[in-house]
Amino acid sequence: MLAVEHLTKRFPNGKGIRDVTFAVKKGEVFGFLGPNGAGKSTTIRHIMGFMKPDRGCVKVNGLDTWKDRGKVQPLLGYLPGEISFIEGMTGLAFLDFMADLQGVKDRKRRDRLMERLQFDASTPIRKMSKGMKQKVGIVAALMHDPEVAVLDEPTSGLDPLMQKVFVEIVLEEKARGKTFLMSSHSFPEIERTCDRAAIIKDGSIVAVNDIHELQSMQRKLFEVVFEDEADVQAFKASGLPIDSQEGTRVRVAVQGNYRRFVEETAKYKIRSIDVFSQNLEDIFMNYYDRKEKTS
Amino acid sequence: MNAVLYRQMLKVNLKPFLNYALGSAFYILLMFWLYPGVAGNAAAIDSIIRSMPEGVGRAFGLTGFGSAEAFISGEYYGLILVLILAVVCVQLSTQLMARLVDQGAMAYLLSARATRGQVACTQAAVLVTGLFLILAVTTLAGFAGNAWFLKGDYDFDTGKYVQMNAAAFLLFFAVGGISFLVSALSNDEKKASGISGAIAFGFFSLDLLGKFSDRTDWLRNLSLFSLYRPDDIIRGAADTELAFPILTAVGLAAFALGIVLFRRRDLPL
Repeated sequence: MLAVEHLTKRFPNGKGIRDVTFAVKKGEVFGFLGPNGAGKSTTIRHIMGFMKPDRGCVKVNGLDTWKDRGKVQPLLGYLPGEISFIEGMTGLAFLDFMADLQGVKDRKRRDRLMERLQFDASTPIRKMSKGMKQKVGIVAALMHDPEVAVLDEPTSGLDPLMQKVFVEIVLEEKARGKTFLMSSHSFPEIERTCDRAAIIKDGSIVAVNDIHELQSMQRKLFEVVFEDEADVQAFKASGLPIDSQEGTRVRVAVQGNYRRFVEETAKYKIRSIDVFSQNLEDIFMNYYDRKEKTS
Repeated sequence: MNAVLYRQMLKVNLKPFLNYALGSAFYILLMFWLYPGVAGNAAAIDSIIRSMPEGVGRAFGLTGFGSAEAFISGEYYGLILVLILAVVCVQLSTQLMARLVDQGAMAYLLSARATRGQVACTQAAVLVTGLFLILAVTTLAGFAGNAWFLKGDYDFDTGKYVQMNAAAFLLFFAVGGISFLVSALSNDEKKASGISGAIAFGFFSLDLLGKFSDRTDWLRNLSLFSLYRPDDIIRGAADTELAFPILTAVGLAAFALGIVLFRRRDLPL
């Protein structure tokens, strides 16, 4: 459905992207990850046909997004990373205008999206909070029922409840066979929606992984508080990788092998367990830095 | 052209258009209201002007107050209207293209069905519509002023008056085209308004300096504004057959170039 082929773009300042290649199948939700400045936005701008590639191309349903501009747009929905609308309009007026521009006659889908995201669309745009603008942007990106939705950090600014609603919407659209490409920083969001994810670093794709692989890469810190100080010593002797200890409070690093951790912990009286997840970028960067070193 | 976008852009910009148009109309009416009083003392005022250094009178288009259109040409078309329209051109062209790119709202227009060519054409049309609206209201205000205040008692040459307005429109069609070209190529709103402002007021200053004396006269040849000579039109000495096509051609070329280059360039959206 969406194919990025050998995309290369060099900017005068020496930055840019090199030979970016990946493909997203129809009905797939594809995550696009990487630290700031790695080339995520540049790649997305090429996908939307806002930039002319030095080499390579982006195809959506067989149409070149640079050469066939105008023809591919009806297939695409776009949520920019930085939200800005035309000044002097209310949210509703903007959405009406966008619907006319997109040639959408039926407003039912838009109304349903607005209802689910719960916002007051009659507010003038300049008085809207970041989260509210984000919601308007999400509705504008999805209301014409695009085949491919390109979303740049879709949940930034949304509260946890709305993030959940957003994830539900994505999953429903996915079930209807729609394709998504989204960049994100939030692991739970990627974990719950994406099938695969590409990781970009310094302008090149370093890996395209299945989301389950990514999950197994994720290192989690479990903080276990024991009832009995004597148990702590026995627990430490079990060979689990202990990150730190503070009295009866022990932090264990677990990566993939949850079963062993659960079995070992279950032998003792436990007062509480807390979990800290590593953030997404750290996982990948750690993982790939390590891989580079060993190879 | 995209009808939906055109309508929306007009709606957003209608208020500033009307503000400028009404301001301009009000000023014209004021001039017409004052004219009968001035005309009574025309000889005295003419002698004051003659007593000023020659260059000053020429620079500001003070050509004598023998007729209503000469008075208005000197008092309004020579300086104030030009400044107002230059500001409108620079502001509006920046708003219509560079600001949308700078702030990112252009992404929405281009991700919907409109192509870049359509968006650029539409924005150019909005700019021209705005200029046309302001000058049309101004022209009509002149006719209304003539009917209200002069009542046929004073000379008013309608043909020359319309020609003067047409000249102003064509001049700013050309200046607007150049500002549009600058705006279409800019990613930064401030840079766009800075550059097109410098061009518009640079032209204006060259023309003004050129008019002061014969020695600086060559400066005028560098400026588009030298093709706009309301005082010459009033005296019947203007070479509009040459000036009008040149201004039209410059405007059309600049708009077309802006649209073509906007279609090809990289946008940071």
